Order: sequence, then structure tokens, then C-alpha cells
Amino acid sequence: MIEVKDIKKNFGLKKVLKGVSFTANKGEITCLIGINGAGKTTIMNAIMNLTPIKGGEILIDSERLTKETYEKITFIPDAITMLPQMKIGEALQFMKDFYKSWNEERAKELLSFFRLKEEEKISSLSKGNTAKVNLLLGLGLDVDYLLMDEPFSGIDIFSREQITEVFTSHLVEDRGVIITTHEINDIEHLIDKAVLLDDGKVLREFRTEEVRELEGKSVVDVMREVYQR
Amino acid sequence: MKFNKRDPVYIQVIRHFKQQIASGHYEPGQEIPSRRELANQLKINPNTAQRAYKEMEEAGLIFTEGNSPSKITKNEEVIGRIRDELISEAIDNFVTAIRPINASLDEVIGLLKEKYVEG
Repeated sequence: MIEVKDIKKNFGLKKVLKGVSFTANKGEITCLIGINGAGKTTIMNAIMNLTPIKGGEILIDSERLTKETYEKITFIPDAITMLPQMKIGEALQFMKDFYKSWNEERAKELLSFFRLKEEEKISSLSKGNTAKVNLLLGLGLDVDYLLMDEPFSGIDIFSREQITEVFTSHLVEDRGVIITTHEINDIEHLIDKAVLLDDGKVLREFRTEEVRELEGKSVVDVMREVYQR
Repeated sequence: MKFNKRDPVYIQVIRHFKQQIASGHYEPGQEIPSRRELANQLKINPNTAQRAYKEMEEAGLIFTEGNSPSKITKNEEVIGRIRDELISEAIDNFVTAIRPINASLDEVIGLLKEKYVEG
């Protein structure tokens, strides 16, 4: 389980995280929802220890982020970090050389699932295919937790569908996934938990099936209530 | 299969299975997709598929022997009960919808007969 406990963060005088707490379980998909500027990406960066926090703590399987826990988790940013002149095959080779936890078999499977070719140059790919390569580079690692920043942002509907399909397949297996999005509509049925953020605070954290079962509400219904108060 | 957004997804999955069983589309003893396959086919969370299967197993709609794939129940009584339940549910919905219009029962039945044959 990833436990985010009362984390705070300032950028200069601006408080970007004002005491954020939530949990994300292994084997579940937790979705951080909020408009741009709500603090989603900062939270991701804080979990990965890419940015120092001012208060609170983050525990991964009850431990603070150390070299060991760091091996359990990977972050897939919303833009590709590989050099654009690389070919897909070269990027995969780089991952293999660089990461002990790289799972070549799964990477190959993902490559054919996404219908990508190793000889294609990253710079020549469409936005949708770039997003798929980006996802592939993260999913190819044998880690317990995956953080994905806006995996559905700005890509065509068919790429979205393919990426959605990955979440329901054995390729994600029993890992814990945290994704951020500002557009929940077509993934409502996919997520276990939603964390609604605004202005550096958690407004509500809920399990999606529970809200449907106990309150007869959709995720969007709850968002409307929470955000339009 | 199209989901609505306000009913729990696992309940919608169970309803879908009941319809398939009652209509005979799923035959008694027929193998059903694994939890993972179902999640993939319906594009739903695998945990939700798992929940639906667990509830259906407990209700005797499906059964699993050892490590083999789950199958549709062979129990005629259970299948009959599912069918009755679905019919009764549909009638309830119909009655709820038609009652406020204040049509006479004879009129409704006449129309119903006509439409049913047409359909």
C-alpha cells in the first residue's frame, strides 16, 4: 500500500499541497482527479521523491522511500523522456541495460499488443503511439506500483481504447496503479478508487463501487457535488 | 454490453449473466470466460469481475471445480428462478411506467398483445 500522509509543499510563497492524505492499494487502480494546478503531478513527484516535501510523510508498504522501496515503484510521466532520435528498439535496449527489473518478455508482448515496431523512430511517432511507447517503458518494469501522469491526455480515441484495455489485462497484473486525469468519463468503470483534489487539498476520497451501491451515484455525480459547492 | 454509470458495475455484470442464462444463450454447464478475460472483454476493472464471479458463485449461478474454468449452473431450479426473477422485474418496471398514464388494464393488455407479437 502507498500511504500519503498529510504532505505539504510550497513553491516559493505559494502553497501547492496543503496537507494531502490518501492511500492506494496494491492490485487496485487509484485515480487522482483534479483540474490543472490541483497538485496532481506534484503529488506524483513527491511519492517518487523527485521533489522534497515540507511536512508529512509517504510510506510504501509501511516504509519510507529508500533504495529498496524505490525498486518497487515506477513513474510514467506525461511526456516521453527518451531521446527523440532513438528507435523504439534502442529505447528498449536502454531500459534492459539500465534496469535490473526490466521484463523483456512483457515488453515484447506490449510491443505487439500496441502494434509498434522496433525500427520506428520515436520522433516519427504520432502522439498516441508516443504515449504507448511511454507506457510500455514503464509497464515493462517488474515493479509493484505504477504511477502514471495523465496517460490519456491529448491522444486519439483508439489509442485511449488500447491503453484502457491494458489496464484490464494481465499486463498490469496485480500491481498497484495510481493515475492522474482531469477527464474521467471513459475510465469510470476501470478505477477502484477516486481521490478528488482541488487547490492542494483532498476534497473527497471514495471507492467507486461503494458510491454506486450505497448512494446510487456515478463518479461524475460525486464530482459535480464536490466541485460545484 | 453497455454499462450505466450509477449502478454498481458488479451488479450489472451479474444481471448480464442472468439474462444470458435465462435466454438460454449460456447453456447449463457451459464454460464461461476467466475473470481476467471477462474484465478485458467488458473493459472493466478485474477486481469488479472478480467480485461479480464471487457473488454468482455464492448464489449458485456458476460453479468451479478445482482449477478448471468456471461453468454455468446445471441446476434447473436455479435457472428457473433466474428466469422468473427477470420476468417479474421487467413486469414491475413496465407497471411502474404505465400506471401514471391511467390506461385501463384491458387497453394495456390489448396493446401489449399486439406489440408482443410484432416484436
